[in-house]
Amino acid sequence: MPKSDLFFNPPVMNAAGSLGFAPDQRSGRDWSRLGAFITNPISFGRRSPALGTRFVPYPGGFLLHTGYPNPGFNAALRRYAPAWQRSPLPVIVHLLAQNLEEAASMLRRLEGREGVMGVELGLPPGVESEAARLLVEVAQGEIALIVRLPLEQALELAPAVIAAGAAALSLGAPRGALPDAAGKVVEGRLYGPAVFPQALQVVRQLARLELPVIASGGVYSERDASLLLEAGAVAVQLDASLWLG
Amino acid sequence: MRSVEARIFEITQDASGSVTAWIACPPSAVPAPGRYSLATVVGNSDAVLPVTLFASQVSEHGFLAASPLPASWIPGLSLRLRGPLGKGFNLPEGTRRLALVTCGDSNSRLAALAQQAAAGGADIAWFTDVPLPPVPAAYEVNPLRLLPEALDWADFLALDAPLPRLAGLRGVLGIRSEQRLPCPAQVLVYTPMPCGGMAECGACAVPARRGWKLACQDGPVFDLDDLDW
Repeated sequence: MPKSDLFFNPPVMNAAGSLGFAPDQRSGRDWSRLGAFITNPISFGRRSPALGTRFVPYPGGFLLHTGYPNPGFNAALRRYAPAWQRSPLPVIVHLLAQNLEEAASMLRRLEGREGVMGVELGLPPGVESEAARLLVEVAQGEIALIVRLPLEQALELAPAVIAAGAAALSLGAPRGALPDAAGKVVEGRLYGPAVFPQALQVVRQLARLELPVIASGGVYSERDASLLLEAGAVAVQLDASLWLG
Repeated sequence: MRSVEARIFEITQDASGSVTAWIACPPSAVPAPGRYSLATVVGNSDAVLPVTLFASQVSEHGFLAASPLPASWIPGLSLRLRGPLGKGFNLPEGTRRLALVTCGDSNSRLAALAQQAAAGGADIAWFTDVPLPPVPAAYEVNPLRLLPEALDWADFLALDAPLPRLAGLRGVLGIRSEQRLPCPAQVLVYTPMPCGGMAECGACAVPARRGWKLACQDGPVFDLDDLDW
């Protein structure tokens, strides 16, 4: 598939971190309702869970601070690549790269891998435009590249990332801070319906620039998804709403 | 993704403000002691996450679910239950002396195990600093500070501890770091499990002897020997 021709049928997928590292075919889930499966974030080296409070609820949503635990790229390939090969839907591997070398190394090893249609590269919050551009350039290869932008920086980074060769953009969860039960302030990612208005606004702004965006953020109904598609998104990602079953 | 229909049959609130709900459901949907089910209200478009339910009492018609429960729940509400999920308590056959230990602020998640063990003829000694609702007269109830004295009495130790209190269990048990417990022990690690086993999101990660385990899938009941406490 040409890397600039990302097509999802249906135009709905799970967001990274919402359904594990590979489709669980024993789950009874109807996989035909998703156009692709995005893996949990995978880093070059192993990552342990964050210490301290990791979940803080608030009206309309919740904050997560998990640290993106994962076994590391090599171990993830050993464990999950066979499942990606058997997957009933195309798999997009979500990668967390700390530097150019890590990004290039992981991408090269995913090229040509059966079942893997593309990579979603997660950019860290606070990344500067030039660093984002360089990461995207070094990630260019034979595999379709989606770049996940921090929501707060989406408009700032989007043009450079697309010009550098990304096939599409996706939107990361917005970040925030809340006190936990002990009063200690926890910083993390925000999920839930309360996030949707922000996501819709960013999609509308990106669509005006005619940039291909895969929308996500607080999508809890078919109406939410339709609004994002009507606003110009090429596809929609579902996150915590999937956990309602 | 299997789920079953259920209904809230009755809601009660005791003097301490603790709320319980009797859930009418098929027997296959009743979580065994330590396991959990995830509940969503049928037709509710405002839900952010499912509600985690542990059984504090079991009957042939369903189970009693204990706090925390949504304030919006009322009798007659239709629910969809997914589960039971996770690993529960595994009481060895022939257990005759069961010590229950409440390390958090709720006794409810151990109550169904007490019910099960008592039905099997076991003696129950409950160590808790949280007020208990009326329990059978045969249960011996003691403050937590008396627990170290009971370790040699028990055949099996079942604890309920919020995740942040796992690190302080040795103090509660009164044993030193190199000491082994004189009997098998399992702990229900109480922690938010937002993805309910679907995502390996890591929010419920519990420190283990080797790496970490996920309460939603590997627990929430663990052999104490498997954890880093």
